[in-house]
Amino acid sequence: MGILDNSGDIIFDSVLTDTGRMRLAKGDGSFRIAKFALGDDEIDYGLYDKTNPSGSAYYDVTILQTPVLEAFTNNTSMLKSKLISINNNSLLRLPVIKLFTFEDSGAQMNSSGVFVVPVDQTTVNNLNILGPGVLNGYEPNSSVSHIRVDQGLDTNQISAQESLATDLVETQYIVEMDNRLGRIFPGPDAPVSTNTTVSTNSSIPQATPSFIDDDNIASYYFTLSNNNGYVANVGGTVDSSIQGPRGTKLAWRLGSSLGLRTSDYLFTQIGSLASSEFTNDPPGNNLSAGTWRFIDSTVRVTGVNTGYRVDIPIRFIKSV
Amino acid sequence: MATTFKTLTPADVVSTRNMLHEAIPLTGAIVSGTYAGENIKNFSHGIFQSVYDYPFLSSSANHIFDLSAGYTTVSGLSGAASIQNAKKLNFYNEMAQLLVGFDENNVIRRFDDDGDFVGTATKINEAYFVSFARLLTKDEIKKGSFSIDLGTTVSHATPFGGGSVDTGGIIRLTDKSGSSGYKVNSPAGEYGILYATGSDLGGAVVDGEGYAKAGLIYYQAGIAVLSASVFGSLLDANVAMDGAGQNIVQSLTASSITGACDNFRRRLYNLSFNNTTELNSTIYFCRVNHNEFNYSSNPTYISSSNIVVKTNPSDIPVTYITTVGLYSPDNELLAVAKLSEPLKKDPTTELALRVRLDY
Repeated sequence: MGILDNSGDIIFDSVLTDTGRMRLAKGDGSFRIAKFALGDDEIDYGLYDKTNPSGSAYYDVTILQTPVLEAFTNNTSMLKSKLISINNNSLLRLPVIKLFTFEDSGAQMNSSGVFVVPVDQTTVNNLNILGPGVLNGYEPNSSVSHIRVDQGLDTNQISAQESLATDLVETQYIVEMDNRLGRIFPGPDAPVSTNTTVSTNSSIPQATPSFIDDDNIASYYFTLSNNNGYVANVGGTVDSSIQGPRGTKLAWRLGSSLGLRTSDYLFTQIGSLASSEFTNDPPGNNLSAGTWRFIDSTVRVTGVNTGYRVDIPIRFIKSV
Repeated sequence: MATTFKTLTPADVVSTRNMLHEAIPLTGAIVSGTYAGENIKNFSHGIFQSVYDYPFLSSSANHIFDLSAGYTTVSGLSGAASIQNAKKLNFYNEMAQLLVGFDENNVIRRFDDDGDFVGTATKINEAYFVSFARLLTKDEIKKGSFSIDLGTTVSHATPFGGGSVDTGGIIRLTDKSGSSGYKVNSPAGEYGILYATGSDLGGAVVDGEGYAKAGLIYYQAGIAVLSASVFGSLLDANVAMDGAGQNIVQSLTASSITGACDNFRRRLYNLSFNNTTELNSTIYFCRVNHNEFNYSSNPTYISSSNIVVKTNPSDIPVTYITTVGLYSPDNELLAVAKLSEPLKKDPTTELALRVRLDY
């Protein structure tokens, strides 16, 4: 994309996104603009110079000169960081969403720095015992391994015992992932009735996407009010990645898609043959170089209210 | 409750319709000369030829118009001795069927030079057809803007003779009454009458202002129908359409359609019109109140959860808008608008961002 001419008046460069065009083409009334949001993807607030000797009028001189790119038409590429409306103008801190990876919590990452999902029974069997950060994609509910994010003020200047201001508590999350690769299942805190079905058949209580866009990105909504094992309050006295006052946490497990389990097509199209050994922490087995394929992807978690977003790296693996 | 979306109310959305016009000038040298014929595509069927603005084998070439010629069955030119007689008849009939339509007996009407179908006089029985590409005409040709200059000196070697409309050598056809005097009795939409003017119109019946009817311009169809008389009976003298000195009648009978079109292009001096694009727009007024969008979820906005643009609670929060996203009720991004430069937002300002989507 080019950079917009900023030498004159402020102008708008407006485009429909690919999803917008797709919905327009459907002609089923799904193209309906109902709300707006504002974004500041290009801005680096680190350039805000509060110590500029020329005075406060010069604090943001560099920011205001930021070149702005033309609009992308890919709906998932825009508005990655949104502006937030909060009535209180005296806030000094804002909450974040942070990956929780404490040891022995079941939410650790693999030592390779990603969450690893073996997609089929053969791969799971080859690994024998799944180490930390290895999520059973074939039978998602059969192990405690999961992914968890915590939300709150990540500061050591306020005690975690303090409660987070109500208007800063995130109550709803959007989880986006490539629908060709995987599905989302409840975390280990899910009610027993949904947590004990260990199978790959349709009885698994996988989450239902709210919509799947033209690029096969599925969006899932999880809210605090639903007792579904996904969103819960963190509490101030338990382990958390948030140092200060905590809001909510979101936990889930990942299952592989039918396409990944039954076919190598996507592994050859968008994946690679591994050239190094996969390290599965003992007592599980490792996978030798050249005996497994992988697809690297991300799962994106966004707070609906606070707009904060975190991308979590996922690696789907399959024995060849 | 913190929020990142703001709902648009019916008062924030308005639909508008605008007409955009572009000037389309075509110089005769482009269609005859500059590219030594490499921008002219002839087809094996020989029914018409396509004119490009650049050698057509290049990906840079744009199709600008198609050219053909024909006559009706009642024309004196129609006969077995005429080259491509059937194709000339067929093409005339095809154009007439589309642009003029049928009479009460479902017989194809002929082109009429004043748009009045009553009677058999004033018919255009022999014509050149210039069918402009949609790339140029867009939704329609702007009424009253069409103009075409044709060389009318007798000499084939110097078709314009260095002259002008006023001094001779060139006649100009315009839809001078187009903006207010167009016709609506065509099945192909509105059309205007092309009037010729120039000092060479010695053979024409001209009105008080010196204009003679010479063709028709169909605005929505983007087709000009030029009476072959512009090179014959309207003029002081028949012009030489080719190097052998053929007059217009001979050109239309003894030449193929392609040959007749080549002869026409050689005498095309200038052509211009304005096109029209009907632009339907929806404008979304994104109203940002003083207490809205003053914080950001940008990862650089905070450091250890501390807002980097504030030092004390009394400092006002500030953000910089670069993007407006328009969302569906289920939070799917349907349209994006980018500002050309960051726009500062803090609790002391209110904004109304006007985002227009064109369809």
